[in-house]
Amino acid sequence: EDALLPAPQNISIHSTNMKHFLTWSPVIVQGETVRYSVEFQGEYEREYANESWLPISECSLTTATGCNITEDISASVAYKLRVRAEVGATRSQWGTLKGFFNRVTTSLTPPLLKVTADGYHLLVELEDMGPAFQFRVLYWKKGQERRVQQKVMKEVRSVVHLDTMEAGADYCVKAQTHVEAINRSSSFSQTQCVRAQGDTSMWL
Amino acid sequence: TAGNKIFHFGACRVSMSMTEIRSGFTAIKANIQSRDPIRSLSILSHPHSLHKVKTSDRCCITHHLFDFYVDKVFKHCKTEDSFVNRKISSIANSFLSVRRRLGQCHEQNNCVCGEESTEKFNQILANYEGLNVTSAAMKSLGELDILLDWME
Repeated sequence: EDALLPAPQNISIHSTNMKHFLTWSPVIVQGETVRYSVEFQGEYEREYANESWLPISECSLTTATGCNITEDISASVAYKLRVRAEVGATRSQWGTLKGFFNRVTTSLTPPLLKVTADGYHLLVELEDMGPAFQFRVLYWKKGQERRVQQKVMKEVRSVVHLDTMEAGADYCVKAQTHVEAINRSSSFSQTQCVRAQGDTSMWL
Repeated sequence: TAGNKIFHFGACRVSMSMTEIRSGFTAIKANIQSRDPIRSLSILSHPHSLHKVKTSDRCCITHHLFDFYVDKVFKHCKTEDSFVNRKISSIANSFLSVRRRLGQCHEQNNCVCGEESTEKFNQILANYEGLNVTSAAMKSLGELDILLDWME
């Protein structure tokens, strides 16, 4: 290591919907291309493997100031992460993320959904958020908020039939995600309502 | 989902990201098994398959096996291949969090060890110690799907 090359600073993690990104501030060296290398250490490495670190090859000698670490953060344990700068053979000291990162802290956003009425059929389309996600869909006839029905979807199919509607009645739908691996759910999406009217749907 | 599974061992309930562990293992299985020259021997299935373990002993043998992999196996499986090492890390860290939950069951007396599971586990240890440590660790890692299949 060389004291001339400063370690990367402002190392932080941005984790949303079980996708985890490590970012840091660029190290500026006039007239030089600075590259970075990232390593991670899980709880297993700390407790059973002499506190060893593992390089993330996709983020070795990268010029980017960010790294997608999702693939390697694949257990609900505390991880440590570090980055160093390199210019030619010169390497900085490691800059280490303050504290630990555990994927249970990922932020979960409500799912995007599209509610349609195909004739008298109430349909919902949900965005595919990856295998870790389940969806809980609530739907009810407007005015009968006490009789909410629920459908839990473990895998996303393109369009899901929720109910057969009465003519002229308004039906409302909202949904949330659930990630079993961390046993947490998102907040609910906005409610969307439609009305069955013959064979054309009508947004309300 | 394609993700988590809840395993019930009597009163012991353990949630496990089976898909993540399986996909990590599948990605390196061929590489790991190619490092195991002694194909005729098995660590987990000799002389009897895990399927012979009584239901009442399943929790205990599972707990023993997770201890076995965390304490003895993974640390001796370091390779020259960064991709393989990363996948082993992923499996090892997943095993660590499951083992913690199994340990809690054990402490709450919901994971009692009978004579049979103790005997079966001692046989596994004997098979393991009958080889040099790296070969034994690589063979055990190569047999991970035997454990996962049995659990499922």
